[in-house]
Amino acid sequence: MNLAAGDVIIMARGLKRYYQRGIETVKALDGVDMDLRIGEMVSILGPSGSGKTTLVNLLSCLDAPTGGTLKVAGREVLGLPEDELAGVRRGVMGFVFQKFYLLPTLTVAENVELPLLFCRRAADRAATMAVLGQVGLEDRASHFPRELSGGQMQRVAIARALVIEPRILIADEPTGNLDSQNGEAIFALFRSLVTSRALTLVVTTHNLALGYRSDRVLILQDGRIVKEEPGRPAPPTC
Amino acid sequence: MRFMSLAVKNLLRRPMRSVLTVVGVGLAVAVTVSLSGFILGYKHAINESIDKLGFQVMIMAKGCPYEAATMMLKGGTGLLYLPEDVYDQVRKDPAVESITPVFIGVAEKEAGGIAETASTSFTIVTGIEAATFAAMKPWLALATGPGYDGGRWFLPDAEDEIVMGYEAATYEQRKVGDAFYLSIVPSGRTEPVMRTFKVTGVLARTGSQDDGTVFMPYRTAQKVFGRPGRLTIVGIKLKDFAGPMVAEFSERWVKLPEVQVVGLEQVKSTLVMLVSAAQVMLSAVAVIAVIVATIGVVNTILMSVYERTGEIGIMKAIGASRSDVFQLIWLETLAVCALGAVAGCAAAFLGSRLVERGILALLDIGIHGSIVRITPTVLGAAVAGTIVVGFFAGLYPAWRAASMRPVEAIREGIE
Repeated sequence: MNLAAGDVIIMARGLKRYYQRGIETVKALDGVDMDLRIGEMVSILGPSGSGKTTLVNLLSCLDAPTGGTLKVAGREVLGLPEDELAGVRRGVMGFVFQKFYLLPTLTVAENVELPLLFCRRAADRAATMAVLGQVGLEDRASHFPRELSGGQMQRVAIARALVIEPRILIADEPTGNLDSQNGEAIFALFRSLVTSRALTLVVTTHNLALGYRSDRVLILQDGRIVKEEPGRPAPPTC
Repeated sequence: MRFMSLAVKNLLRRPMRSVLTVVGVGLAVAVTVSLSGFILGYKHAINESIDKLGFQVMIMAKGCPYEAATMMLKGGTGLLYLPEDVYDQVRKDPAVESITPVFIGVAEKEAGGIAETASTSFTIVTGIEAATFAAMKPWLALATGPGYDGGRWFLPDAEDEIVMGYEAATYEQRKVGDAFYLSIVPSGRTEPVMRTFKVTGVLARTGSQDDGTVFMPYRTAQKVFGRPGRLTIVGIKLKDFAGPMVAEFSERWVKLPEVQVVGLEQVKSTLVMLVSAAQVMLSAVAVIAVIVATIGVVNTILMSVYERTGEIGIMKAIGASRSDVFQLIWLETLAVCALGAVAGCAAAFLGSRLVERGILALLDIGIHGSIVRITPTVLGAAVAGTIVVGFFAGLYPAWRAASMRPVEAIREGIE
């Protein structure tokens, strides 16, 4: 992928996602236009049911759109089967979710290296330690998730997302299970990663204060972007 | 990290559940291996025991040939007798290579053996012609060593000399030169007669029923048991044991009144066939055990898949393909089955002696030697068979996991 900072890496036009519930058609997303550029951090805000998670699922190719156009790194993904969507994600996108989903029988280092197994890439312990160092957990490499706090587990999840050196990081409610102090720390970490790695970061959150720490804020309502504003990013602290 | 190590580590999430599932598989494998070992061992023991009779054909009093063969293997009461002149007639048959007369009786003995109780017990007394009997059984030898040196076979006409089988002598704590007492009820009388014999020799262990027998000259046995001119069996080896010779021989002598001709190969094959019939029933038990264990494995892995729905969604999100997820779950199933197979084989192998003692204690089957044979082939077949079962048992849970859509799986995990 030969893209430079500022280039569009994800482009959506008229993006739709409809669900059929009996005879009723639910329009979870009803025509979204947006561009995501290399090296920018974008927050998606909105009330529950506004379509934030649906939009993020489509942008991350975890789900397929019902209509519209969606291009990831120049490739149209509309109509692709699940295995091909997985191929689009693999090696390009990293994910962080509200629930950390760390495997309890693997150490921190092994959890971080898990995506490499699925990408058929050899684990490099030095690189793993470097990623853990970026999230401030290099001294916890041999610990198990049960020995970590919530904030530490989320940082391990972030390290796991970063180990494949993605171009895009998708974070869906990453601070939902954390207290405010840990939430602040996570967003600060996101900011520094976007800067240091030229990542494209898309984050959904209910927390307005944290959400406005991004470069751009998209506000969703009833499946549509109703407002787009610049954010108020704080300078990186780590 | 490889898929196999990840699969094994996933099993450690619920160690007790995994252990119980492995134990279930292990029990099924142990049952199957033990039953297979018993069938193999029993067939082998039948063959060996009958071979150690030394005869190819027996002529005996009319009755059930299989009961007669079992009597020869076990020793026992309810004996029938045939006239001695049958022996005189048959020995002239040109087809006969060697022949020996045998008289069997059952005597009481005063306890004085290792148990040292005051109660009486029984002993099998076999009257033989030492020279021809030993010729039929070339593996028979007199024991040597302290207490046994100087042993010899009794003289043909000796009326107070015996040779004891190894286990009989050991149990009775008798050595060469010791006295041995038998209480015998002669035919036609009701009161026992106490007889004293001198032990002239002790046989080395043979692993057959001869080890528990007391031998004396057959004419002496006829006299003390009050059956002059009677024999229990005539043991025969033919010059040519193959093909029609046996049938022709049998036809010649079956015409004699009161006698039957029993070919021991026929007895052997019939007993083995009976065991094979039992094998079918025992196999049904093993199959049921395997089915129950397989259901347990499928249930355990399916529960594990449902518990890890969100995690499976995340694995798909971070790059796992359908085949990756399928492989992971399927390997977990194979790991459980493989561990269970190894544990079951080890338990069956280590417990085989206990199983054998239990069977011999419950059933007096007249077989000497080991009756449980757990061979490397049996173990290998058990492990391979379990892995094949695991191969199929894992298909549905693996397909279930691989079919999950990542979005729905992650959503279910959050809810």
